Amino acid sequence: MSGQKYWNPVLETMPLEKLKLLQFKKFKRILNWAYGHSKFHKALYDEAGLTPDDIRSFDDIKKIPKVEKSMMRGIQNKAPFPYGDALCVPLEEVSTFRQTSGTTGQPVYQPDTWQDWEWWSECWSFVLWAQGYRPGDRVFIPFGYNIFVAFWAGHYAAEKLGCEVVPGGVLDTQSRILKIKELNATAMMATPTYILRMADVAKNKMGIDPSSLSINKITCAGEPGAGITSTKKRMEDAWGAQVYDHSGATEIGAWSYECSQQPCGMHINEAMFLVEIEDIKTGKIIEEPGKRGKMIITALDRIAQPCIRFDSKDVIEWDPEPCSCGRSFRLIRGGVIGRADDITKVKGVLLSPAAIEEVVRSIEGLGDEFEVIVDKQGDTDRIKLKVELLHEVTRLSVENILKDQLRLKTNLGYQIEFYDYGSLPRYEVKAKRFKDLRKKKSMEKECRS
Amino acid sequence: MKDFSDLNMMNDKILKIKQLLIELETTSEQFPALSKNSKRALASVKMMELNLSDIIAFDITNVK
Repeated sequence: MSGQKYWNPVLETMPLEKLKLLQFKKFKRILNWAYGHSKFHKALYDEAGLTPDDIRSFDDIKKIPKVEKSMMRGIQNKAPFPYGDALCVPLEEVSTFRQTSGTTGQPVYQPDTWQDWEWWSECWSFVLWAQGYRPGDRVFIPFGYNIFVAFWAGHYAAEKLGCEVVPGGVLDTQSRILKIKELNATAMMATPTYILRMADVAKNKMGIDPSSLSINKITCAGEPGAGITSTKKRMEDAWGAQVYDHSGATEIGAWSYECSQQPCGMHINEAMFLVEIEDIKTGKIIEEPGKRGKMIITALDRIAQPCIRFDSKDVIEWDPEPCSCGRSFRLIRGGVIGRADDITKVKGVLLSPAAIEEVVRSIEGLGDEFEVIVDKQGDTDRIKLKVELLHEVTRLSVENILKDQLRLKTNLGYQIEFYDYGSLPRYEVKAKRFKDLRKKKSMEKECRS
Repeated sequence: MKDFSDLNMMNDKILKIKQLLIELETTSEQFPALSKNSKRALASVKMMELNLSDIIAFDITNVK
């Protein structure tokens, strides 16, 4: 069985037309479920003058109103406490609680039944099988198991596949590295920020070359790093391992994954999710490859708190090429490129923080950490970039390359500040490297007035 | 797995297991160890339905 290429050889190679039919039928099923069991969804669709019976073709799906995270915040902290009107099952059927990280505001609570939890690990099983996880792998998970969903489902999926899982929960970074060494762990799951942090600690604090350890594959999630070529290369070089990207979210599920072919993109699990890409300006659904838009996603089988046409704000684009792995699940090129609410205008130019990361991590003399601060000097936007120089590297040797590459990739000029290696903040989970002080200043101004 | 008749045969087995578990869960209400494990096993069976039974129930395999 370990030689079998696909977790589900029927679904993963199903022709797109059939997949679309399956998606449509499953969409109708979850829509009916939500309409019949969630006061929130019923009110939303009633207000739009729609019932599930009005959805007669795939094209009709876009008539269904989208759900935004702010709407979920508005209905929670009410009966049935704390989930409110979107809960579709009796409270006693809820077997697990998670919440969003709160990166974009007040966290949203996520109830799941045991069936939902099985579904979570099923979706992750597609991810891990495609990335070469097999029985015999010893998977180390350096994650503080808590209210955030993060790698919980990855843990259960690895067990389901027949791997041996080592939960590296309440250990500090050095203890985790020693445990990997002690047990000859072969695989690992963490955020890109933490993968680089672990490599840094191993090398510079413990005198251990991480590539000499037995890790041969790493699954990243939580941040876009494994989809950014230069960051991926840094991680792969440091650990001597294949690094794979994966994207999921608390209120959605594990919806996409890079396969072992590393096609510079991620497959959407189109048997479990329906992904639509919406043009940010026109609101129209983008069918053709190569055009960026934000993702509207439906989890087709999640029942406790359904996720139907959820406006994820993730910016993605269809890849024009199929993957050489043979999966018919379509690819999104470059993975999640950014977030619609992250992409900001600086000096009139659209800027994605991921573009800065790509440049910084592509320059060998610079450390992994950096910080971007946007503020205003008078009426003019100013963008400051703080970077670290590696030991024995001079500012002169990298400054011009950095400036040129930033200008080329982002079309902006930067005020660059160089720091000694180890000076900038280190992060263990998700990093906060981009700070837009203009928003804070304008809010303060509003409050004062 | 050779062809779609194999898929149908596997699906029949999934549906049989499901039926048995539903019966067991219903008849074991006063026996939590059986009732709760049946319910949990039904959640696993649901994953098999998502992986195979849906394709057959929705008649996807016969679409040209």
